[in-house]
Amino acid sequence: MANARIAIRLAWRNVWRNTRRTVLTLLTILVGSAMIILMNAFAKGGHDQMIEDAVASNTGHIQVHEKGYWENRTIDYALKPDGALLDSLGKDARVRGASMRIHADGLLSFGNTTAGAMIQGVDPEAEKSVSTLHSSVLPGGRYLSPDDRKSIVMGETLAKNLGARTGSVVALISQGFDGSIAAEKLTVAGIFRSGNPEYDMALVLMPLAQADETFTMVGYVHSITLRLASPSDTAAVKALIAQKTDPRGIEVMGWDELMPELVQFIVMDDVSCYIFDFILFMVVAFGILNTIQMSVFERTREFGVMLSIGTTPGQVVAMVLVESFFIALLGIALGCAAGWGLSYYFQVNPIDYSDYAKEMAVWGVTTVTYPADATALNLSMTALITLALAMMFSVFPARRASRLEPVQAIRQL
Amino acid sequence: MGLITVRGLVKNYESNGITVRAIRGIDLAIGRGEFSAIAGPSGSGKTTLLNIIGGLDRPTEGRVSVSGTDLGTLSPRELSELRLRRIGFIFQAYNLIPVLTALENVEYVLLLQGVDREERTRRSMAILREVGLEAEAHRVPGKLSGGQQQRVAVGRAIVSEPDIILADEPTANLDQKTGAALLDLMHELNHRRKTTFIFSTHDSMVMERAERLIYLVDGSVDSDRTRGAAHFTRKKPAAAKKRK
Repeated sequence: MANARIAIRLAWRNVWRNTRRTVLTLLTILVGSAMIILMNAFAKGGHDQMIEDAVASNTGHIQVHEKGYWENRTIDYALKPDGALLDSLGKDARVRGASMRIHADGLLSFGNTTAGAMIQGVDPEAEKSVSTLHSSVLPGGRYLSPDDRKSIVMGETLAKNLGARTGSVVALISQGFDGSIAAEKLTVAGIFRSGNPEYDMALVLMPLAQADETFTMVGYVHSITLRLASPSDTAAVKALIAQKTDPRGIEVMGWDELMPELVQFIVMDDVSCYIFDFILFMVVAFGILNTIQMSVFERTREFGVMLSIGTTPGQVVAMVLVESFFIALLGIALGCAAGWGLSYYFQVNPIDYSDYAKEMAVWGVTTVTYPADATALNLSMTALITLALAMMFSVFPARRASRLEPVQAIRQL
Repeated sequence: MGLITVRGLVKNYESNGITVRAIRGIDLAIGRGEFSAIAGPSGSGKTTLLNIIGGLDRPTEGRVSVSGTDLGTLSPRELSELRLRRIGFIFQAYNLIPVLTALENVEYVLLLQGVDREERTRRSMAILREVGLEAEAHRVPGKLSGGQQQRVAVGRAIVSEPDIILADEPTANLDQKTGAALLDLMHELNHRRKTTFIFSTHDSMVMERAERLIYLVDGSVDSDRTRGAAHFTRKKPAAAKKRK
């Protein structure tokens, strides 16, 4: 107890002994930790936004398929919707929406032009709770309504390539579930601009009932797509569905399996973020080392006296470490407050690149707003790592102080 | 057997490849309650001898015992403990801890000894009263004069009631009047508490007041004289100045 009291009292007063140096060190820790928190908050917020954009545009958080569908993606892999499962999912608070889909590849012709298309049969109402394509329809057109039969909405680039407009009648040729030719004349009800080049260039939405008829699906669908209230529930809901279905016949996939390229991008981005974190942590740690080193050097004589009058080397180590702890703790508290404040500002006012959306879309980047999201984990990990580094980097000067030869130290000017 | 026994003490330093023989074989015995001065010209080995007696430095040869304990057999931690419990140090440059007040500087040793707060404060305030600094108890060293700082240093050295106080040129940075007053104070403590005082000094005033004067030349004892205790009575600073 006495040791702790000495260490704390001396350390606290020594912190304020050279105010300018302490303030500069506090600023180093403050700026460093605030930058780390902000950078990680941008990474988290940006990644979440990318996932949300990708999930919301069409993919959903979870898709349920006939086993083998995702690997082959042909019309042959279809499943009969399980009404009981759909009912239970509909009652699950974690599930925001569920939509059954029919998928087929086909050729669309308008006039003398033909283009490949990804046909997606959807229930117009159910789909609204799963994807955001309904809100991307350009003025002059409309999204599918429950009464629609031979109407479609298509991507802007596809419409442009075909020369079709809202109201144009296009011809579809594809293959039916039973192997027959699927052919239909369909009216363009609307044209959407999703921002995703792949969807804008090839995706066509048609009413589920019409798709069932056109592709002779006889009640079968290719996927049940789920949108969740929170992506963090993906694993739990996936496990629930897997439990209620036969794993030999059904595959349940999360967004991370459906979009591995996005996961890869996030991992790469995280790695570069960690490298910057490491650099910033080192700047902070060396700032603390420098301060403590200088502080110990300036007090060589004082430590010599302390050791002479009976202070043990362990008590000297404790004094230096507690001093470092105080500086680090103050700096971290200020840094966390600044980092959280900045992150909150950018959470409310995300960085908006919508003016450059087209240029970004060329590179396959469809997310144009980047909010920050400072999580408790971000704040606590930054604080803990900074504190741990501060203590680690203070051990060297502390040991140096404790190993001073009192006689030589006292002679030091 | 004396409180402090020094036998065959040799201390050599290496400096730029040259061996400097600071102490060349000293034998001494210092008894309890002595008020001794080690004098001699610069480089005669006074401070080195004091440091070795205080366990701050190790001899090249020979041994130093305090109450029969050979300091050479003690670990650094045991030496720390010995310095904490049995030896008080007074340095030429006061060497107080600048961030602590006068009271806290005096308390520091008691704090290291684990004395409880109430007892610590009571004893430290009593010591400050004794050295005439009660009113300055809550001032930091930077706000005290040199003489006041040295009195705080004396307070720090005596507060734990050690057997031995080693004072290295305690009056060197003080004016004559302040130095004389400080010597009066230490002499009184020596008489009242029977604390053994050993000074290293150049100061003729200290030499005159010492009951025993050990004079070193080139690391050896040149003379070792003891005077009658009656020679020392408490003198007022003015008298001390006049005598000088």
